[in-house]
Amino acid sequence: MAQIFTASADTRLRAAALLGVVALVMALVVLGGYADSSYATLVGWVEHQPVPFSHQHHVGELGIDCRYCHAAAETGAHAGLPSTFTCMTCHSQVWTGAPMLAPVRASLASGKPLEWQRVARLPDYVYFDHSIHLSRGVPCVTCHGRVDRMPLMSRAQPFQMQWCLDCHRNPAPHLRPPAEITRMDWSNWDEEPGIHAVYGELMTKVYGIEPAKLTQCNICHR
Amino acid sequence: MREPSADKEPFGLMAEFRAPEQLVDAVRRSREAGYRSLDAYSPYPLEEMRQALGMTGNVVPWLCLTGGVLGAAAGYGLQLYTNDAYPIAIGGRPLFAWQPFMLITFELMVLFAVGFAIAGMLVLNHLPRLHHPVFGVTDFHRASADRFFLAIFCNDPRFEIAETAAFLQSLEPLRVEAIQSTEEPE
Amino acid sequence: MSETASDTRITAEITRIPLHHPHMRNWWLLFGLSLLLLGCFFVAAGALFLNGVGMWGNNIPVNWGLAISHYVWFLGIGHAGTLISALLLITNAHWRNSLNRFAEAMTLFAVVCAGLYPILHLGRPWLFYWMAPYPNTMTLYPQFKSPLSWDFFAVLTYLTVSLLFWYIGIVPDLASVRDRAKTRRAQVLYGLAALGWRGSGRHWARWQQAYRLTAAIAVPLVVSVHSEISLLFAAGPIPGWTSTVFPAYFVMGAAFSGFAVVLMIAVTLRHALSLRDIVTERHLDLLARFLLATGLMTAYGYVYEVFDALYGGEKQDLATLHDRFTGLYAYSYWGAVIFNFVPLQLLWFRGIRARPAVLFLIATSVVVGMWYERYMLLMTALYRDYLVSSWGEYHASLWEWLLFAGMIGVFLAPFLLFVRFLPVISAFEVKEALRETGDLRHA
Repeated sequence: MAQIFTASADTRLRAAALLGVVALVMALVVLGGYADSSYATLVGWVEHQPVPFSHQHHVGELGIDCRYCHAAAETGAHAGLPSTFTCMTCHSQVWTGAPMLAPVRASLASGKPLEWQRVARLPDYVYFDHSIHLSRGVPCVTCHGRVDRMPLMSRAQPFQMQWCLDCHRNPAPHLRPPAEITRMDWSNWDEEPGIHAVYGELMTKVYGIEPAKLTQCNICHR
Repeated sequence: MREPSADKEPFGLMAEFRAPEQLVDAVRRSREAGYRSLDAYSPYPLEEMRQALGMTGNVVPWLCLTGGVLGAAAGYGLQLYTNDAYPIAIGGRPLFAWQPFMLITFELMVLFAVGFAIAGMLVLNHLPRLHHPVFGVTDFHRASADRFFLAIFCNDPRFEIAETAAFLQSLEPLRVEAIQSTEEPE
Repeated sequence: MSETASDTRITAEITRIPLHHPHMRNWWLLFGLSLLLLGCFFVAAGALFLNGVGMWGNNIPVNWGLAISHYVWFLGIGHAGTLISALLLITNAHWRNSLNRFAEAMTLFAVVCAGLYPILHLGRPWLFYWMAPYPNTMTLYPQFKSPLSWDFFAVLTYLTVSLLFWYIGIVPDLASVRDRAKTRRAQVLYGLAALGWRGSGRHWARWQQAYRLTAAIAVPLVVSVHSEISLLFAAGPIPGWTSTVFPAYFVMGAAFSGFAVVLMIAVTLRHALSLRDIVTERHLDLLARFLLATGLMTAYGYVYEVFDALYGGEKQDLATLHDRFTGLYAYSYWGAVIFNFVPLQLLWFRGIRARPAVLFLIATSVVVGMWYERYMLLMTALYRDYLVSSWGEYHASLWEWLLFAGMIGVFLAPFLLFVRFLPVISAFEVKEALRETGDLRHA
């Protein structure tokens, strides 16, 4: 019988097999890289908003407290986005004719709320309650980053489950005095280890926080 | 046994037989005559052939055992590690519970054992090998149907084309034919 | 007829099927039908992906429904292929050589159907890979103490091992088809698939070691896989699922339903492809005996279940037993008993076992009966839990039935491709058996 394959067919077959393996490995590397990339987690990506609101200006320069606009953060599950009236408490007096603020005025006139695009957003199967985190002293900056340095708002943390669990498995180092919850800069916290090193440990006892319970599935997936 | 590289000329000599018993007998007699670099081709496995060819290795079963042990270790180790690294305290189950771990341990043992045995078989057999000089022999397509072939390769120290051909003829085959080497390089 | 002459004939008879299929018109008719069913699958699964499992009728307390009962049913059917080819190989029952190839193919496609069901039942089916332990951004691994993660490993291993076993078993026959192919395309395609197999004695020796070892390992694998399925039930505290007979009961039921399907396929193929002298009446007779034997063992499971509830005297178990006999889903219990065991009794008669058409009908009845059994096991236990607050009813929605029709397509379409393009009978093993027994009727 005649040969069906040439002698070089085997070389080509092996090359193809090698190529297949390389492609598979590359695919896994790319997928793994994608899952952790800011492309997937949206860290640092700016959402398009109806008004280019600057947290840097309002928080960093003017010193407006977070809770002035996100009023429900301490008492409700959702921190809430400000209504047009909140904006207008100031902007009915200052920058009244600014073209940039035209959508705000239009919203007030028509009664149709501004459509802010949420930046810090959890999947719908995650139960999250702002009030408990704030009342136990998890400061805003832990999850939302240095908003006082963001001209346009972007996501500061990946909001992946591992990031949530890092804290739920070991909450003590992340606790701060609830009275100072909106403070942005905590860089000098660790400079006073005598006072602060045991703060978290102490407060977990005071509040009765049990990390073993914090990692149970139904804490977040109800 | 190593086969010669495919560009040797001639690659070897091939004798064709009608019945399996003839082939087994021919292999025995070739080995008695001192030929070592030889192979037999049959459409189905012949129980006696392993012995006739003087094959003693049990590499495949050992590979299978190795795979099984590795798989079981991997399965059990996986469950120990993951339960240690990321404990899920749920349903009042102990963290390390060997009873429920057994099933995955067993499944991975089976998976690895079979994978090792089959991959090992293919590697030891140098398969896949799409092109081989023996495919060029007239009638060799019947090696997968109803004919039985004996090949003596040119790298055998006793291989002497005329002498070996005469020896093969003495085994009373249907035909003896030289196995041509690979075609001209492209 | 001389020995090699019959080798020639067997080779020709089996390799002619992929190369010059004898009934292309009928094949196309059937294949068209199976593509239609396959289309149903894509419609049903697509709708499910878009809308979620709310389209189905299952809800607490009957949260499993048809999806899981079909999962158990399909997987059980699959087991017979492995049992025939592996168990009978290591026990040197040569008659298995005429049946193992298509039985194994049946296993493969049935396991694929089975594996799809739990995935579709997940709620977020596209995240099924979460069942695999891989480093992930959740810093969590699957719960290995849950039978659901056992499922993943069991089905994956079973599918892989079945595929490998089937493939190395078919390689020598693919070489045979390659050597008989006339067109260049067929030569190349079968040549690639045959891996350059040339029937070397040294290759055969290692091949045989690997093949027999795989077979020897596959037998406990089958038992473990369906035992694991039974633990899926028995690991929960549901009344009616706690009997210790469950693993054995499930494995036997699996073999029973699987042998029935093998019998159906054997009768069909030998008729359609004129393979009467390779799949002989003796083969059908032996299959029928196996069917009868496994059927009686399954019947023992039924008896034991009743005994277990009565002997245990647990109030909830008795209530479940009562529900099985007279409750809302009693039809599935009695359906299982009647379809499984009544026509089966005909197999005691040699005359019946020699009539392929009757065997086909009995096997069909068993397949239906086993379908009822899987359904009954789920429904009668789940719809009445301990508390009255968790009582409920389940009625499959049309989408679930459409998906079932689609699953038949998922099974049939690749099986028909197998019948069209691959050697449906292991030619080399038939020849080997013929040499060893000297009689084709025993081969």
